[in-house]
Amino acid sequence: MTAQELGASLQKKFGGRVLESRAPLAGKLYVTVDPQSVVEIAAHLKNELGCRFVITAGTDRRRQRGKFLITHFFAHDPDKIYLALHAEVDENDPRIPSITNVVPAANWAEREARDMVGVVPEGHPDPRRLVLADDWPEDLYPLRWDVEHGTKPPSADCAVPRRPAPEGTIVVPVGPFFPSLEEPAYFRLFVEDDRVVDADYRGFYNHRGIEKMGCSVLTYNQIPFIAERICGICGLVHSTCYCQAAEQAAGIKIPERAEYIRTIMLELERIQSHLLWLGIAGHIIGFDTVLMQTWRMREPLMWLCERMTGNRKTYGTNVVGGVRRDINPDSYEDVIRVISEIEREWKALYDAIPGDRALMGRLRGTGILPKELAVERCAVGPTARGSGVEIDVRVDHPYAAYDRVKVNKCVYDGCDNLARVLVRLDETLDSISIIHQALPDMPDGPILAEIEEDLPAGREACSGVEAPRGEVFHWLLTGEENRPERWRARAPTYANLQVVPPMITGSDVAHVPISIGSFDPCFSCTDRMEVIDAASGQIRLCSVDDLTADS
Amino acid sequence: MSFAINLLMALLVAPLMAGVVRKFVRGLVHSRQGPPLAQPFHDLTKLLGKEDLRTSISFLMNYAPTIVLAAMLAAALLTPMGLPAPINAHGDLVLFVYMLALAAIATIMISVSAVGPYSMANSAAEIIGHFTVEPVMVICLLAAALKAASPTMWDLATWNADNAGSLSMVVAAIALFLALIAQVGKLPFDAPEADTDIMDGPIAALSGPRLAQFQLASLMKQIIYASILAAVFIPWGLGYIFPLNVLVHILKVCVLVVLMGLVDVVNPRLRSEQVMWFFVFVIVLALAALGLAIAGL
Repeated sequence: MTAQELGASLQKKFGGRVLESRAPLAGKLYVTVDPQSVVEIAAHLKNELGCRFVITAGTDRRRQRGKFLITHFFAHDPDKIYLALHAEVDENDPRIPSITNVVPAANWAEREARDMVGVVPEGHPDPRRLVLADDWPEDLYPLRWDVEHGTKPPSADCAVPRRPAPEGTIVVPVGPFFPSLEEPAYFRLFVEDDRVVDADYRGFYNHRGIEKMGCSVLTYNQIPFIAERICGICGLVHSTCYCQAAEQAAGIKIPERAEYIRTIMLELERIQSHLLWLGIAGHIIGFDTVLMQTWRMREPLMWLCERMTGNRKTYGTNVVGGVRRDINPDSYEDVIRVISEIEREWKALYDAIPGDRALMGRLRGTGILPKELAVERCAVGPTARGSGVEIDVRVDHPYAAYDRVKVNKCVYDGCDNLARVLVRLDETLDSISIIHQALPDMPDGPILAEIEEDLPAGREACSGVEAPRGEVFHWLLTGEENRPERWRARAPTYANLQVVPPMITGSDVAHVPISIGSFDPCFSCTDRMEVIDAASGQIRLCSVDDLTADS
Repeated sequence: MSFAINLLMALLVAPLMAGVVRKFVRGLVHSRQGPPLAQPFHDLTKLLGKEDLRTSISFLMNYAPTIVLAAMLAAALLTPMGLPAPINAHGDLVLFVYMLALAAIATIMISVSAVGPYSMANSAAEIIGHFTVEPVMVICLLAAALKAASPTMWDLATWNADNAGSLSMVVAAIALFLALIAQVGKLPFDAPEADTDIMDGPIAALSGPRLAQFQLASLMKQIIYASILAAVFIPWGLGYIFPLNVLVHILKVCVLVVLMGLVDVVNPRLRSEQVMWFFVFVIVLALAALGLAIAGL
């Protein structure tokens, strides 16, 4: 089924309730529907067609249309289609029926759209605030166009109600700053006799407002650099994803060499990310030898990337239209040498892990994520593949040069922490193989396409990229003043984290840190330390130098 | 003389050995330059000077670390370390066992009386942890006491030295060694490695000087247990002249501590329920040693 056929079938089934269907590019379908029928259509997409929910975007289009735009994104992976379900809501009555009851994975996304642009999902099962801080005023929606970037409203008093603990349980807090996660995230575990009965999550403590920045102060060519800072470890996926969306909207075909360079850099990034993750997983289960050895193995790769791009990570090579830095043919040998060394050591590690009974004891059979739950809550990346869900954006929605190399979907159906470890072990070897394939095949030529004219307003495009942690998805609606009207970025942890509370229910408290860690979560990639003088209320923000001096 | 030796072993050699393990054993396996040898001393002095934050105002909580330290110090003075122990009297074996029990009970009291969900959720695991090494130690010593027909520690050592290789004593030595290995992975003050699991009931509740006392006691405990194993069950070198006998003892203890450190560093931290079969095996082994001793083997 092509995107056009899917659009036509929806029009046939739902008749006049599908107002418009466009498929400007292969694999991308944009459908505008009547807001009152989104629930029915979403249910049809999920239940009959087996679509996977991706994200919701709320857009303030009052200036242009007098309406708010709510867009639910779905992916039909077997047919390689991304589908956007647009619904316009009247500005004077910003309400839309909630799809969370039929698509549980939309839980956070709909709450976020409510927090950010103020469109209320009616009938949502958990209508608590999600993204906004507890002291943010009730009626101020940051992503509306008339709220300026940098607005600092006075503190209000509207704390998010906590879910009451079930009878007979004690609450074990994991967070707001938990040592094994080292990031702000607050899980409240409801525990009975060392067993987790239920759990609640509160996060978004360090929301950086990057989407707002992209739609209000930055320009198209500045966004890749801020996009790359969405994740501190796998940032290139975000800049690639954004650039691909922008290139699509502008109708630019980037040079083939640039596609290969993106592919190679993305795979190098995946290798270092998986090495980093394996070390952290070892640390979480008290096995620091794994941490020290994997990070030692990783270091030559960081130096290699520094030689190639000038940076250990956050390479800054992507721009709309291609890449800024070529891979010098003289350095091919350097790349091969470094990844071959990692391959050799990785294989030794690979052989050692299944033989380590103690390690197996901590991993096998713990952190069970059943396949049904992974599909229902739309987990992505190694988290989903460890539960036997065969999705991988590189194969399902090919981008860059991935249609010209052989990519294996590394799938295990163990559904436990071990399966997720094995997926990443396999993937690292697969990444090395991809680089071995791509490097000699890379054609000569330019690395940056010339862009002559300005990008017209009102075009939209979406793109997906397989990050080390799972699917990254960006959507772009072009606007005036050389910047997007709306840029929506979804990181993989957003999808995976929603799986955590149902997954850890029933497990032993002691397995919770490694189970959360096995998702390779990435909460905000931001740390900052403030010193607040309780007496005077004075706040001092610590700089890098302060922290180095104190450490 | 032996008073000075035992005190030095407990207060100086114990932290130093921890430093050796951290720098050489762990540093080597981690492919890195470990911390300075004197790091455990720096840690202890730093903690002693820190603010004493309390999560509970209970009497037990306030004095339990001191009780643990005092009990361990007393146990150290009851342990033969190359020479007869400073407190070497008829029946000192019973006193030694009491001291171990006192320290264990005080530790459990810390985790039980601590106010905090981490401690509460894991006090059960903590208690299980304390019923692994201590019973094995007691059973093995009992077997040795039966063989030597004496309740005095030094008699056990000398009897073993004279009658090397009796089956029950060999089995007891193996059981005790395995118990020590099981214990070492639970060294609760291994801060960089213990920060991540929701565990360590007593440690989470202690800070500053109290934590320092508890840490020193834990370091001493390791040396005391290794000393018992070395002096009573591997008694070679007891008959050498001073200071050779003491040096041989220290060497044996060093080897044991390094071995324990090596086991620790090449294994992840296991949950107590996951190593239950191991504990059961070790206790059965110790009981077998006792049975053999009763049978006269």
